Amino acid sequence: MVKHEQSMAAAGDVVVSGLNVGKTFAAGTVVALENANFDIKRGSFVSLVGPSGCGKSTLLRLVSGLIEPTSGEIEVHGTPVNGPRADISMMFQKATLLDWRTSLENVLLPTEINGTPSKADKNRALDLLKLVGLEDFAFSFPAQLSGGMQQRVALARLLQTGADILLLDEPFGALDEFTREHLNTELMRIVAEVRATAIFVTHNITEAIFLADQVVVMTSRPGRMAKIINVDLERPRPLSIQTSVEFNKLVEDVRETLGAV
Amino acid sequence: MSVSDQPIPLSGRILDIGVRFLPHFVLFAVIIGAWEISVATGLITSIIIPRPSAIWSAIVELYITEGTIYRHFFITLTEAVVGFAIGAGVAVSLAIASSLWDPFRRYVTPYAVVLNVTPGIALTPVIIAWFGYGMGSKIALAAIISFFPIFVNTLTGLVQVDEDREELFNSLGASNVQVFRKLRAPAALPLMFAGFKIGLTTALIGAVVAEFAQATDGVGVLMSRFSFQLNMAASLATLLSMTVIGLILFYSMEFLDDRIVFWRRESRRAAASRARARTWAAQAKK
Ligand SMILES: Nc1ncnc2c1ncn2[C@@H]1O[C@H](COP(=O)(O)OP(=O)(O)OP(=O)(O)O)[C@@H](O)[C@H]1O
Ligand SMILES: [Mg+2]
Repeated sequence: MVKHEQSMAAAGDVVVSGLNVGKTFAAGTVVALENANFDIKRGSFVSLVGPSGCGKSTLLRLVSGLIEPTSGEIEVHGTPVNGPRADISMMFQKATLLDWRTSLENVLLPTEINGTPSKADKNRALDLLKLVGLEDFAFSFPAQLSGGMQQRVALARLLQTGADILLLDEPFGALDEFTREHLNTELMRIVAEVRATAIFVTHNITEAIFLADQVVVMTSRPGRMAKIINVDLERPRPLSIQTSVEFNKLVEDVRETLGAV
Repeated sequence: MSVSDQPIPLSGRILDIGVRFLPHFVLFAVIIGAWEISVATGLITSIIIPRPSAIWSAIVELYITEGTIYRHFFITLTEAVVGFAIGAGVAVSLAIASSLWDPFRRYVTPYAVVLNVTPGIALTPVIIAWFGYGMGSKIALAAIISFFPIFVNTLTGLVQVDEDREELFNSLGASNVQVFRKLRAPAALPLMFAGFKIGLTTALIGAVVAEFAQATDGVGVLMSRFSFQLNMAASLATLLSMTVIGLILFYSMEFLDDRIVFWRRESRRAAASRARARTWAAQAKK
């Protein structure tokens, strides 16, 4: 397994930053996000945790360029975000696969949108399916796959974009706990392997800490970044780390922040 | 669903089918028998309803010994298919344009609705005046009345929004054309085919009604001619040919639906999946 060292090696190298970012909906009556400031370092894994409606999805959609901030500015790789871009890619809670495409064809979709896939692109897609453990299902259609397998295809498609910043909005939230735990471990391995920067949204505190280098705790009404907690647990992390004293201290810290408002 | 995967021997399967359909055969035989007897005994006059055996002889004559039906059969079939093709072509084009361009939809929809609430069949005399006694008027009527169900179904399919997938396409930086070609159009296919199936059936109705009104060839003409002669057996034997045309049309569309919208059916999915794997293997070898 590849060791997750990039965040240490490239400390100080900021790839995503937000300055006083705010977003309102419904002509300013709904404040989805207020005054968010953040710097995300290359290769780091950042979890966003918080109650429903605190603006987690809004923040991801702002970073991805799907929506524009009402105030403030977001920069990615030093340039302001103004619309979808190739260095960022997003994955959603639903797999959003196309029913009429095989796994392989679904993974190739991002490449097709940029032009005609070459033989190398196709082989890369197949490799990515291997990476997510679905090499035997490359020619299966979504309806022939379980929910967990569909999310793996979506993950492979996310990686196929070649983007080095991955935005994951509760990607395994609709799955059962066993599958989710398993896929989280896989995700950690894969993100490290492809040396990507990840922003991961979740409702689950344990999951948020287990995966991340940094946990951003958000609170609602209005959506705010309440606290950023560094997770200095060594990698690779076994599942058993979740019962350690250090881990539980972090859990408590997050709980307190969430409960404080 | 069976629990065991053991193949059942062929003789067993034939027996199975026999047992399953036996009640249907019995019921059919009883109805035909009762019908035959009530006409034979004069309970029903044979001028109104002919005996089944008389219909059978008419069928043998029309379809086998003289074979007069075939020319008319193919003419009506052609009218229905060509009419459907024209109706579907116009309907799909207008639906695509309407789905892409809102103002266009606002201008087209009222006409489409007016055309729909006006009984299309009532246009028959006008259509015949315009297009004459030949196949043209039959094709025109078939096209007109098959238009609406196809238009509505295709448009509904194209404008239904799948927000999650659309957001995916946006995040990938897809153009409007790509969203249409790779997402909206394929997603509309199931509804479009539902429209095609209705449209094909109504196209046949259009063709036959126009033949009844005024024509020289086609099963509709043949049938009204027999009816005028009070040759009810031959008339009903001709009706059977319309049923056959209807079945051919319906099942051809069902076949296409199965192949093109393959992802909706388990068995077709499996077959498509194997085909894709083979194509990939063949390309990889090159
Ligand atoms: N397009 C929109 N129009 C109006 N209000 C919106 C829109 N999108 C989000 N909101 C509002 O903004 C707030 C934050 O929404 P957001 O989806 O970001 O929350 P979230 O933290 O992702 O919640 P969840 O955990 O339930 O997914 C909510 O109050 C929501 O109602
Ligand atoms: Mg959300």
